[in-house]
Amino acid sequence: MVLKLDLDGTVHHVTILARRPHLVLSIDGRRHVVENLDEAGDGSRRLTVDGEPVAFARAGSADGAIIRLGGRSFALRRRDAAAEASAAGGGANVVRAPMPGTVVVVHKRVGDKVQRGETVVTIESMKLQMKLDAPRDGEIAEIAAREGEGFDKDAVLARLAALAEG
Amino acid sequence: MMTAPDDNPPFRKVLIANRGEIACRVIRTLREMGIASVAIHHPVEARARHVREADQAVEISGETPVAAHLDIAQIVDAARAIGADAIHPGYGFLSENARFARAVADAGLSFIGPDADTIALMGDKISARQFAADHGVPVAPSVMPTQDLAEFTRQATEIGFPLLIKAAAGGGGKGMSIVRSAEELEGAARHAASEAQRYFGDGRVYAELFVERPRHIEVQVFGDGKGGAIHLFERECSVQRRFQKIIEEAPAANLPADLRDEICASAVRLAAAANYRNAGTVEYILGADGRFFFLEMNTRLQVEHPVTEMITGLDLVRLQIEIAAGRDLPFAQDEIKASGHAIECRICAEDPERDFLPETGTILHLDAPQAAYLRFENALDRGQRVTADFDAMLAKLVAHGPDRAGATRRAIAALHDLALLGVKTNIDYLARVLGHPAFAAGELHTGFVAQHKAALAAGEPDDATRDKVLIAAALGLRDFRDLVLGVPEPHASIGHWRN
Amino acid sequence: MSRLQSSINTASADFRRNEAHNRRLVAEFKAKQEAARHARPQRDLDRLARQQKMPQRKRIEMLLDPGTPFLELSSLAANMAYGGESPSASSIVGIGMVSGREVMIRADDPTVKGGAWYPLTVKKIVRALDIAMENRLPVVHLCDSAGGFLQLQSELFPDRYMGGRIFRNQSMLSKMGVKQLALVFGHCTAGGAYIPGLSDYSVIVRGTGAVFLGGPPLVKAATGEDVTVEELGGAEMHTSVSGTCDYPADSEEHAIEIGRDIVSQWDRLPRWEAQREAPEEPFYDPSEIYGIVPDDIKKAFDMREIIARIVDGSRFHEYKPNYGTTLVCGFANIWGFKVGILANNGVLFNDSSIKGAHFIELCNQNNTPLVFLQNITGYMVGREYERRGITKDGAKMIMAQSCSRVPKFTVMCNGSFGAGNYGMCGRAFDGRFLFSWPNHQIGVMGGDQAANTLAEVKANQMKRNGGSVDQSAIERLWEDTRKAYQEQLSAYYSTSELWDDGIIDPRDTRNALGVAISASLNAPLGPPGYGVFRF
Repeated sequence: MVLKLDLDGTVHHVTILARRPHLVLSIDGRRHVVENLDEAGDGSRRLTVDGEPVAFARAGSADGAIIRLGGRSFALRRRDAAAEASAAGGGANVVRAPMPGTVVVVHKRVGDKVQRGETVVTIESMKLQMKLDAPRDGEIAEIAAREGEGFDKDAVLARLAALAEG
Repeated sequence: MMTAPDDNPPFRKVLIANRGEIACRVIRTLREMGIASVAIHHPVEARARHVREADQAVEISGETPVAAHLDIAQIVDAARAIGADAIHPGYGFLSENARFARAVADAGLSFIGPDADTIALMGDKISARQFAADHGVPVAPSVMPTQDLAEFTRQATEIGFPLLIKAAAGGGGKGMSIVRSAEELEGAARHAASEAQRYFGDGRVYAELFVERPRHIEVQVFGDGKGGAIHLFERECSVQRRFQKIIEEAPAANLPADLRDEICASAVRLAAAANYRNAGTVEYILGADGRFFFLEMNTRLQVEHPVTEMITGLDLVRLQIEIAAGRDLPFAQDEIKASGHAIECRICAEDPERDFLPETGTILHLDAPQAAYLRFENALDRGQRVTADFDAMLAKLVAHGPDRAGATRRAIAALHDLALLGVKTNIDYLARVLGHPAFAAGELHTGFVAQHKAALAAGEPDDATRDKVLIAAALGLRDFRDLVLGVPEPHASIGHWRN
Repeated sequence: MSRLQSSINTASADFRRNEAHNRRLVAEFKAKQEAARHARPQRDLDRLARQQKMPQRKRIEMLLDPGTPFLELSSLAANMAYGGESPSASSIVGIGMVSGREVMIRADDPTVKGGAWYPLTVKKIVRALDIAMENRLPVVHLCDSAGGFLQLQSELFPDRYMGGRIFRNQSMLSKMGVKQLALVFGHCTAGGAYIPGLSDYSVIVRGTGAVFLGGPPLVKAATGEDVTVEELGGAEMHTSVSGTCDYPADSEEHAIEIGRDIVSQWDRLPRWEAQREAPEEPFYDPSEIYGIVPDDIKKAFDMREIIARIVDGSRFHEYKPNYGTTLVCGFANIWGFKVGILANNGVLFNDSSIKGAHFIELCNQNNTPLVFLQNITGYMVGREYERRGITKDGAKMIMAQSCSRVPKFTVMCNGSFGAGNYGMCGRAFDGRFLFSWPNHQIGVMGGDQAANTLAEVKANQMKRNGGSVDQSAIERLWEDTRKAYQEQLSAYYSTSELWDDGIIDPRDTRNALGVAISASLNAPLGPPGYGVFRF
């Protein structure tokens, strides 16, 4: 069993090599001896990794964890097979909101043929306007956005027709 | 700054027409003064800190939370109904709305701020500028607003270049552009006029001499409403992004003493001339050649007031309340001393890697460092949702030190120790700004962020750091932790073995 | 417990010669094992890749908790059967840790004739489930099989311990409260459909998993109905319409994740707490075993030297050291578990037999598991010993051993001939696990002895029928006998027929026993009591 964590778009493999006499973890094949295990849960924590003390703050998020270490913050997401399975359904077939906001203009209708990069929806958030473009060539299968309505981050605003199986 | 509650507080009950950290800040001083506090809130913020910390709370309604906070009639009615005798408007929202100030006064309540007329005067950028020029405050040469493009071009050419063209009725950077030569002028003017018409319904444009690498210097003033005014020194707010301040400090970095005196004196002159009452800030653009020009006057308490408080040891909110109650300025100019240096960082929910796009999330963990020389002004709760309903500023971290270098060091350390997890913030970006040699050298100007964009970008973490992060994260996941700790003997001791 | 004092001279010529010999045997064993595990026709590997299926061993590794041991059983089953067509008897069986729980893992091997079950496959599966029952180990089935190997159906279908026994065992496991999980990665056809059918939990992979009592060709032949694999028994249908399977998985990885999550829900049955102390590595290097076991099965060696290289700290408390010296008895720890060891240093005499019986009784009294290290050519024969009652004494040892309530483990360290096999807990005596070393030989008697005996008998026969002794015929008989015995005496033959639970590298004995003893603690001790000892 291997734990897969996505950090900034790269998936890393974490697994356990040994537990005695001390815990040895492997990160993408790199060995690390971990001692003085921290307390479970969120908060400011300490660990010893390869003999060095490491101080950090940790908070569990819905799909992973957020770590503050060395003056930087990192967001990590689990990439287990269940998550992959549902994500594969979406993929490059949707136009997704990068942040919450409101729909300003819907430029396309169901049935329109679009090219990759063509603007499908213009949105506004925090007084900034953004254009959301088609991720690939295709046909608009669904428009979920309505002008003037609000949405959350990652909301699917438009969907392209699935490509025929090759 | 801590004093015992007044024996005779100037008001019995004050309603704060605001929210978030400034509401909590005002409540703090009210409590010290023994004055009852009333918070207002939209239903979405019913459990916010400012609501919990106030003595009483009133729910206000509106199509959006922001709309509720801009509803003058509702707020004045609420204050009257709950028996408040004064309203503190905070900053933003209705704090510089002359109609609001008038409505408060008409309702028989005290408005903790300037008179409505003064607010109106300084609120109109054109009239404020004219007033400043009329009273010996340097203003940048400019072209008066007009829709006559030929007249505009003639005047502009007279002033010289570079020029900053703005929409007269505008703001927020819309309809603004910089013109560096006569050839560009007509086209730019035409474009600015059409943008002004489109966004503000008013096609007037004006132009000012554009100062290269301008520094933003402002002076905190207080007036007694009778022509008397004092200053509480200057602040520098040059480090900005999207025309918004993110780092402010007091005093300004490397300002020659005589220039400083001149700027402060000019601010006092302006306030006195306007019979200014209560707190205000006069903002200037300072060029590299030492020439400074009036930008605008803000007729309210500013976000960055804590840096002034930390070097003077004064409570500006308390001063505001006392002056609003009709008391005189409690000290003379020569009694006000500045000591040391203070730096404030505005912590915002945004992603510096993606052009500071606003971010949302939930505050999963909050742990702020504590020290006598630190202030962490916030209204945050663990579990609080950070949404697009309100401004992206989450908190202010203020650090004081014996000198600028000391304050900078303390601010950086505090930012490193500050753990605010669950939403992307600019905390680490701010630490990088403070750590940049140009900041230490005081080479500040409003283009600082853009100029040093590459150097301020977060580098890739090295492998060792990345691995530590992964280990820290993995051990926090319940099932992985169980895997580490939950394997019994002898399997844990035998370890990985295959026959 | 004091440390055994070794008197092995690792520099001696004997040691070096033995070591070279045994290392060669182990290398040969590893090579055979490697081939049995991985050598497959390229087209079978290609087919697996085309179907986007992972090899079973990869699935097993993903299923197991990282950093934990996996004890594979009978890796060389069927290595001398069916012309080598069924490596490992088309089946992978082993004990490992999943989500912090000890489980028996049993997997089909679809790279061998589509995972079809040979007769020895069935025997291996039945044995796996027998082990699960005896040790109360939950079972995870990784199903991917075309069903029974029809050409040999008479050897795998009708009899008591053939195909049906798998499903009977599954039912008994369930009745005992021992859980079973089936992960359906491929087809479960005909009888094979009962594996998920009789499992408490089942997961099925979309697109590749299928469960049906008859596949599309059989259905077409039987009723003329035309139906696809997916429609007949695919994941969607079985998880949403028939309810035969519980969880649909979108990928094999997903199925394994679900499986691990299911296992993590399982209650741990109470374990019988054997005496356990902190473990300690043996003081002497286990690799020295290679130099201790002689290259000739007729040569003797001191079993204490072997014990010293298996047990914790090489510490051993010898019981009754001056009496019955051809049987070494005593207490030691293996991975912390206290065990009672019986080990052969020669043939069994009257005194060693009854010492063995007594020691076995002591271990049952003390709730101490028994470990038998076999190197036995038999009981002493001859007039004097018969008069002393060697038959009775051997019977007493067999009685004590058979009626033991504590778990028993046997390691065939060298020879196991004749009745000596019985007293020392051979296969028939329900030891929980039985392992062999590559140098092990087993038979009713040794090859030379058998050849000599049969040659003698033949010669006498020729003399009785009048006429002369045909020397060349005698020699041919001698040769043929030796050759036949040679083949059938070897550890490879034994393991091929599943007379043991696997050949192991002698160096792995300690870890194998550690995992095995731990597994055995999941079942309660048997009832106390013995039959009648013929005194």
